[in-house]
Amino acid sequence: MTTFPLRIGTPDGLLFEGNVERVMCRSITGDLAILAGHSNYCTALGMGAAYVVLEDGTRKDAACIGGMLSMMDGECHLLATTWEWADDIDKDRAEAAKKKAEEILARDNLTDKEIRLAEAKLHRALVRIGVKG
Amino acid sequence: MAANMKAVKLRIKSVQNTMQITKAMELVASSKLRRAKERSEIARPYFKELYSTLQKIAAGNTDFTSDFASAATSEKVCYVVIAGDRGLAGGYNSNLFKCMEADSKGKDYSVLPIGKKAVEYFKRRKVEIITEHFNEIAPLNIGDCFEISNLLCKEYKDGNFGTLRLVYTEFVSMLSQQPHAVSVLPLTDLVGEEPVEPVKNLILYEPDSTEVFDAIVPEYVAGVIYGAVCDSLASEQAARRTAMESATSNAEEMIETLNLHYNRARQASITQEITEIVGGAEGL
Repeated sequence: MTTFPLRIGTPDGLLFEGNVERVMCRSITGDLAILAGHSNYCTALGMGAAYVVLEDGTRKDAACIGGMLSMMDGECHLLATTWEWADDIDKDRAEAAKKKAEEILARDNLTDKEIRLAEAKLHRALVRIGVKG
Repeated sequence: MAANMKAVKLRIKSVQNTMQITKAMELVASSKLRRAKERSEIARPYFKELYSTLQKIAAGNTDFTSDFASAATSEKVCYVVIAGDRGLAGGYNSNLFKCMEADSKGKDYSVLPIGKKAVEYFKRRKVEIITEHFNEIAPLNIGDCFEISNLLCKEYKDGNFGTLRLVYTEFVSMLSQQPHAVSVLPLTDLVGEEPVEPVKNLILYEPDSTEVFDAIVPEYVAGVIYGAVCDSLASEQAARRTAMESATSNAEEMIETLNLHYNRARQASITQEITEIVGGAEGL
């Protein structure tokens, strides 16, 4: 299959650079996949599972949280706030984070900010567990 | 003579003490620099990529419905100024403020200072400050940068300022750090720095450009600020290391000349004593 250059960058460094067949991730409106030859495209990323299909056909799963994806002149740039390959995810930690977030949300008299933070934490934990699971 | 000798001895002692301090500071700065440099190197590709991607998008953009993409509506400029927490770093802080002064000349502006020195500086000058909350740069992480970014984007959307500029010190090498002022918002300001292609490629935004910009601009601002913070931290430590290194070598030089003075004074007092003894013996 035709491939295209992809770069995945996060504040923790450039995590991937190379040619891929396909990249799938979740945008703010829903899942999308990019194939080679896509027109110029730009979207914001939401939280969700993602994967890339490498040149040799192997699929690598990851958890992608926030950021942007742009396809300019055949080059794809995926700049995520966090991008974790499935192998690097610590499931116990994610489970612990999920439990903690649920405990916080179960409490009464939370401020809006606290609710938002806890919900975001829960969401992230669920994405990680989903990818690893 | 004896009094002179004592004074020189005391002076040597005090210079030695100072040297000990500068030497220690140099070592501390070196080890901190190593860490800061690593962090800056890790963050740099993201920072560069983010900036160039947004530049390309801005150059190719034909849809100006989003507040972030349209030209500046207000004359007012907001500066995010990233300085250090402490002094004794050579010209690090003052060079940055000089760059800031040159860039902001004749403009109506407010600032968001990051780092204790920046907060103090703008407070003293009675410049309008958006928040003093970020008066410590060292523990700043990506989460804090998002907080700053959300605050700035909200202020921008409210029309409190029309242009956002970032003043920080770029870490060029161990020996050279360059203060810079760069444009962050509006996105149309990014275009001027790259040659514009005569034919614009159309970009597909999904779901639509306003929503995309609303979502990615805060990320972009946070990323740019984070990159600048990492670079500034590394620059500060490098500047401090260089300053302390030269202070230590100056102290060494001073001690050398003082030692020479001391030995001369000692020699003179011995000679004098001998002359006195010889003179006394002759008188017998």
